[in-house]
Amino acid sequence: MDSWENAVEVHDITKMFGSTMAVDHVSFEVARGEIFGFLGPNGAGKTTLIRILTTLLKPTSGESKVGGIDVAKYPDRVKRKIGVVPQAMTSDLDLTGYENMDIYGRFYGIPPKERKRKIQNLFDRIGLTARANDLVATYSGGMRRRLEIIRGLVHRPEILFLDEPSIGLDPQSRRVVWDFLRDLMKKSSMTIFLTTHYMDEAEALCTRLAIIDSGKIIASGTPEDLKSRIPGNDIVSITVDNLSEKLVNLVKKINFVHKVDTENRTLRAYVDNGAMNLTTLLDEIRSSGAKVLSATVHAQSLENVFIHFTGRAIRSEETKKVSFLAGPGARRGIR
Amino acid sequence: MRRLLAVIDRDLKKFRRNPLVLAISAIMPVLYLFILGHSFQGKLRSLPLVILNQDTGSYSRSVIENLRAIEAGPNTFTLHFKSNEKDAMDGVKNGKYKALLVIPPDFSKKIISKGRPELGLFLDNTDGISSEAIRSTVMGSLSEIDNYYMPVRERAGQINLRDSYLYRKVDYFQSLVPGVVIMAIFLGTLTTGAFNLVMDKFLGVNESYLLTPLSKWDIVGGLMISGLFITTCIAVLILATSMLITGIPLSGGITQVAVMLIVIILTTLSLLSLMFIILGRFDHPRVVGVLSGFMNVILFFPSGAIYPIASFPPWLRQFARINPEAYAVDALKSVLFKGASLGAIKEDVLFLLVFTIVMTIIALVTFRRTL
Repeated sequence: MDSWENAVEVHDITKMFGSTMAVDHVSFEVARGEIFGFLGPNGAGKTTLIRILTTLLKPTSGESKVGGIDVAKYPDRVKRKIGVVPQAMTSDLDLTGYENMDIYGRFYGIPPKERKRKIQNLFDRIGLTARANDLVATYSGGMRRRLEIIRGLVHRPEILFLDEPSIGLDPQSRRVVWDFLRDLMKKSSMTIFLTTHYMDEAEALCTRLAIIDSGKIIASGTPEDLKSRIPGNDIVSITVDNLSEKLVNLVKKINFVHKVDTENRTLRAYVDNGAMNLTTLLDEIRSSGAKVLSATVHAQSLENVFIHFTGRAIRSEETKKVSFLAGPGARRGIR
Repeated sequence: MRRLLAVIDRDLKKFRRNPLVLAISAIMPVLYLFILGHSFQGKLRSLPLVILNQDTGSYSRSVIENLRAIEAGPNTFTLHFKSNEKDAMDGVKNGKYKALLVIPPDFSKKIISKGRPELGLFLDNTDGISSEAIRSTVMGSLSEIDNYYMPVRERAGQINLRDSYLYRKVDYFQSLVPGVVIMAIFLGTLTTGAFNLVMDKFLGVNESYLLTPLSKWDIVGGLMISGLFITTCIAVLILATSMLITGIPLSGGITQVAVMLIVIILTTLSLLSLMFIILGRFDHPRVVGVLSGFMNVILFFPSGAIYPIASFPPWLRQFARINPEAYAVDALKSVLFKGASLGAIKEDVLFLLVFTIVMTIIALVTFRRTL
């Protein structure tokens, strides 16, 4: 292994598709051995960024290094260092699980004995050994994704890229995948770079993450760092029978309340030590004459971080292009 | 009733929104008519006829003048002259001429002496339609001589045309076999090779191997070789089966088989590389389906497999000169029916070879190794 400190270095990368800016002057670093996540809504530019880092797309401007190697200059060298699990399912349906792995291993030039050993080992670790010789067409979605994850590891890469690893998976498969990835990081000190729009996934897996929206990085840091940027570490949600302006202002004035959001008849107060201060808060509200219908306390989560930084508006997604020649009836891949 | 109408309406709306299908449905039939119409039933033209005139009398000149009139007028054949019998026969055997007319040394004498004057017509009958056209035209011109050149009182002897077919008789079904094999090759190259690339793009599977160190040589070369293997097996099977069914004997033994195999392989490679250029850009199999019908018509019918190229209008003939299937058909016909060796068909082989190389280079250069 050569000596590189950062698994990924991105310096001012921009990507334009026509007049749309998919990635907007993005810069960041990923240290070796960590699990780094890009968290953001659909259309934020996550897939575009991963494609740039994995040599599939060329950026409009900017540089990136993966494993210490310049991606634009030496794409073939980068390919050998990285394993990639794309968002779309890309395994061959008319081959068996084993055949998919074997052919892929041959694409990397791995010799037969080593290949066989590695493939068996990987099947065991992800729990697919029983179905290895069945056609992928017979696999469920979760099984297929698990196969594609180990496929990205067949050549023992130093960095693993995953684009939305648990999208469309049932809860059981998600757990298996998360456990596998955590295990991978611990046992082989692999660097893992993933993108996701699931808060719980980012929280469960990532040692560090960056929040991306509309092609820009909005915030980055460890999950704790990010949560601490939101005022208050708990949120108390109280539903009342009559939410008035007066009540909201009253709550805002309370000393341990940092911020108040409202939605319909629910009041969300960002507080410190929600459990301790709950009774005080409820008393204040009752004293104003309102009737409390329900009250919950929950700890700050990435969900709130996300909404705090990106706002709650539903983003208009980019319209997909329709091919003139093949017509709208033809399926288009992910752009 | 209402439900039925809803089904009809949905289908019509979808049809309207797919421009490619619309265009094909409208344009194709017209194109087919145009090309098919010109491929069949045209008057044969410019068939090369070589004349060996061993006679010195005036009647041989009359025969030649009559033939010249036909050359100048309906142009059914073009006249060529040889003074050496071997050269003339060789010319017919290697396909340079379609027929040889021999005017024997005693021709004029026999006419004057009211003997039995004979002309010998050696026909390359591997293409029945052409040889028949030459035979009947030459016959027709001889009866002209009877009427025009005899002074009223002389009654010359009837001129007999001794026609002989150079090759074993080829019936209609047998003559179709080269065309059938070529079509099998065409269909094979349509469903292997570049087609797999289209399907990979359609399913999005190509993303996975573009991430590996595979180069475009690996991808294009690999698909071409596997396509070559499958298509050649199919073509050989079809060739063997049709030879069996139509009763074409294998007269040249192993050598003949080897030469046919070479022709099949080169034809397959030509068409495979062509498919990479035409289909390589697309990512939906529907396009392949639509283009296949079109390509089959413009490549197959002008290949001379069914009707000779001599009957085509000049623009279609020019197209046949760059159509690999035309060379393939010519080569296969020569090998199957004339027992031609590799040397005899070297022009066809050379064209297919050059075509393959050029198309493969273009395919590799234009292949995009990105999503």
